[in-house]
Amino acid sequence: MDISKDLIAASATPLILGILKKEDSYGYEIIKIIKKSSDNEIIWTEGMLYPVLHRLEDKGFIESYWEKPESGRRRKYYFLKKKGKLELEKHKKQWEIVHATLSEQIYEDKDNVEKGEDENV
Amino acid sequence: MFDLELKINSWSDYLRSSGKLDEEDILELENHLREQIDELTAKGLSKEEAFLISVKRLGNINKISDEYSKVNTEDLWKQLIADPVDPAVSKKDRKNILIIIIFALLAGTAAKLPTFFGINIDNSIKYFKNLSFYLIPFITLYFIIKNKINKKLIVYITGIFAITALVINLYPSYKPNHTAILTGIHLPIMLWLVTGIAYIGEKWKTKEGRMDFLRFTGECFIYGSLIMFGFFVLMMFTSLIFQSIAIDIESFMENYFIFYGPSAAAMITVYLVETKKSIVENFAPVLAKIFSPLFLITMLIFIGTVIFTGNSPYLERNFLIGFDLMLVLVLGMVIYTISARKMYDKKGIFDYLNGILIFVAIIVDGIALSAIIFRLTEFGISPNKLAALGENVLLLVNLAGLLWLYINYFREKIEFSIIETWQTKYLTVYAFWMAIVIFIFPIIFNFE
Repeated sequence: MDISKDLIAASATPLILGILKKEDSYGYEIIKIIKKSSDNEIIWTEGMLYPVLHRLEDKGFIESYWEKPESGRRRKYYFLKKKGKLELEKHKKQWEIVHATLSEQIYEDKDNVEKGEDENV
Repeated sequence: MFDLELKINSWSDYLRSSGKLDEEDILELENHLREQIDELTAKGLSKEEAFLISVKRLGNINKISDEYSKVNTEDLWKQLIADPVDPAVSKKDRKNILIIIIFALLAGTAAKLPTFFGINIDNSIKYFKNLSFYLIPFITLYFIIKNKINKKLIVYITGIFAITALVINLYPSYKPNHTAILTGIHLPIMLWLVTGIAYIGEKWKTKEGRMDFLRFTGECFIYGSLIMFGFFVLMMFTSLIFQSIAIDIESFMENYFIFYGPSAAAMITVYLVETKKSIVENFAPVLAKIFSPLFLITMLIFIGTVIFTGNSPYLERNFLIGFDLMLVLVLGMVIYTISARKMYDKKGIFDYLNGILIFVAIIVDGIALSAIIFRLTEFGISPNKLAALGENVLLLVNLAGLLWLYINYFREKIEFSIIETWQTKYLTVYAFWMAIVIFIFPIIFNFE
């Protein structure tokens, strides 16, 4: 299923910040993590990640450093700053609200499922 | 035979040719491409297949480089995501507005205070000399608070203000008060440059910081003029409607408006330009682009008129003042156009226009300089003439440097940033010259 561009754009910031919260990472790895954790549903135009990283860095949410692993080529790693953590919390809350509202309004099955469970008890 | 390195290099060269990415950005993208290719070839794909797939996944290079240029102007995300109203930000904003209102009132009161001691502001030379101290310290203080300037810089800035205030008020002034008037004219410029330190903060020596301050100055000038014009219209309108009910509010205007009006206009301008930067940013460069050709035409007509009518600017003093004001304005616009230029812009028509503007300004400056030297030799040395000579030489050096660098830039010998470096470094020269006129001229000319 294709996820709309708007949705991908809107979720880009929290996704990146969330990944960097766990550990420092670099562009290629971030893309791979997103692919993997969305079961290949969220596919980015990979090049577009970098301007976004740039912007997050400009805003002071993340910062970068170059590092050369023992084998392989130099990578530009990004890490989450305190301001970025706060930003992530804000995004989290917003998505929770969106998710809760959506759940209530459009996932009709939800009520049935819960009722079904109730009956089993 | 498929040459992978060659392909990757031509890919990154293409990226480079857009001029919107720096080397670090390119290396980062190139590394991404290489990782992807490595992974795919490890899975058994041929190098060629792996390269094609990886390039495809990275996406259209033109679009990516466009994105980069948008990131740098912050346009992209304004379109994509409207910034939410952040309660923390709006609280801070309210605090700043409060400071602005208080400072505007304080500055107005400071300007009015001397009248309580019976000083006639129209012909008090001391009042004129101190004019900048009624307003500029408040602007500086606003930036010190807003930018949380560190202690060391605060000491420097307040030190300069305090020493200057002390010295100029200890200096006596004897008729015809030429040096005192020069002090009054040069002081605001020097203090404004010092305010720049508070505006920029710790990075006040860097090119980027100073360029930002120049842009800020240009925008303050444009928007300050607009706001003052608005105040003026309001004032006219107010006295008009009060006249219609036969109440004369002239004395109110004289006693209050002339003090509080300009201080309020200045503080509001500073606040607006600084806080609403992104909105202002879109508008001011357009103004610069409209006016730079107009200034060019005016100057050309002016030079033409001087040549054809034979009206020599050598004798008439006002002529010279007009010349110099025009030069300052033109230089200001040239610098503003440079500062409003986006880092990743390519050479465009307005760069050439700026180059021509500088060239014509040099001719005008040459005429002005020869006039001053003529007057100096004909009528002898006076503080005004010496100050004018110094300023015109400074302007000439500034303009000549700019022209030289512009030519090299057009010939693709240097990066545009060299021009910015030259201009920002040169600011220090102006600050020192202002200080010389303020502190040393009165001594040389026996405080006359």
